[in-house]
Amino acid sequence: MTLLPWKRRTGPGGPTPSSFEELALPLLPSLYNVARWLTADSAEAEDLVQETFLKSLRGFDGFESGTNFRAWIFRILRNTYLTSKSGLAARRTIALEDEWQKWDSPGAEQHPEAIIDRETPEVNLLRLADQAAVQAAMEKLSPLLLEALLLSDVEEMKYREIAAVLDVPIGTVMSRIARGRAALRDALALHPASKEFRA
Amino acid sequence: MSSHLSYSMLSALADGQLATEEMASANQHLASCPACTSQALSQFVLKSTTAKAGRRYAPSPEFQERIAKLASGRSGQDARNEQARLQPRANVVRWGALAALLLVCIAIGVLGKTWLRPDRFATKDSALVAEVFDQHIAVMAAGLSPQVISTDRHTVKPWFQGKLPFSFNLPADLPTGMTLDGANLAYLGGQPAAQLLYSIGKHRASVFVRQPPDAESVHSLEAERSGFHVDGFRAGHLEMIAVSDADSVRLRELVSALERAQ
Repeated sequence: MTLLPWKRRTGPGGPTPSSFEELALPLLPSLYNVARWLTADSAEAEDLVQETFLKSLRGFDGFESGTNFRAWIFRILRNTYLTSKSGLAARRTIALEDEWQKWDSPGAEQHPEAIIDRETPEVNLLRLADQAAVQAAMEKLSPLLLEALLLSDVEEMKYREIAAVLDVPIGTVMSRIARGRAALRDALALHPASKEFRA
Repeated sequence: MSSHLSYSMLSALADGQLATEEMASANQHLASCPACTSQALSQFVLKSTTAKAGRRYAPSPEFQERIAKLASGRSGQDARNEQARLQPRANVVRWGALAALLLVCIAIGVLGKTWLRPDRFATKDSALVAEVFDQHIAVMAAGLSPQVISTDRHTVKPWFQGKLPFSFNLPADLPTGMTLDGANLAYLGGQPAAQLLYSIGKHRASVFVRQPPDAESVHSLEAERSGFHVDGFRAGHLEMIAVSDADSVRLRELVSALERAQ
């Protein structure tokens, strides 16, 4: 059996609560940011982060010092989110991984140029660099795609870390990130601000 | 490479996550394909914008202070006390469900018999019972299929390979009228656990399997709460906790079958 990177510590003299504080508190802004995006509600995000800290503090004895604490605590946040009110609603979202894989295969008829509208490259780049428009587009993303993008682009996690946090294969991580970006580009093309570029 | 780069490959290129061979192949293609080069540039720009746009929310100073206090030198018991004191608002939904169940119990006049019996369950384990209870209710309420759907123990058990830092056995034979429905990966006390889903007649049962955080105070895990029964045992490094609205005797039969298999 493959052991998780945060496998249970068996030896004595492990991390103390103060080291939990040292490890966890610097991650508070990141955890809150992700929680706030996922829940779309500041009070719920605070509850989610607080519960994450409580659970991780309680389970800290089982965390092996020197392994990936960030992935461990983000995984707890994610699992706590899944049992929250908004998380339960999000779990009803059906992931169309298979359809994406068919669409995304190198031999598929879809040409990369067909992914976005056929504006000039300069217009497309300006649109993609519009931070406010991207934020608005991110708000419309499904939680499945949003969490993958946040972990990848904002938290700068590697695919392997993201796979551990989300408990999915790396291929699924790649698929979700790519689908998330495709959805952002679609949304940007439809965003009212983008109309200005067309005028 | 004759065909265009796939969208996933372009995305992975922007993330710097291509393997060496893939990177060489992609670079070779990009050198001769303006369309894919343009797409690759778009991916880099979008990734950069998403990174900036995604850093949108910051915790309030009051919340930071509250969390810092929580994280500073507290023991696990303190954390549980803090949890009980702070009563996160997110629990309102779950407690709302519990309240509804409680009202039903009152209506059928069984409150006195079904509420938690403190003499049988240590205070320390109340939080565990609440968590097990909440997770079972949440899964039932969501009405989702198990992450692994199978009545075959040889399918369900291997599914946890690589997901749990421990292993366990499942009984070959279950008591009459009981079936294994599947399982989920769950978390109890911040640690990974297996949630085995069983049917007991028309009732559903969850059996959580975990490594207890400590080996102290081996005691009965029997309890009743709002018409639900909780039962369990510890065997070696494992703890199994079952929860169901089925009859406590039937739940005990299931727990005994699981205990014999360990």
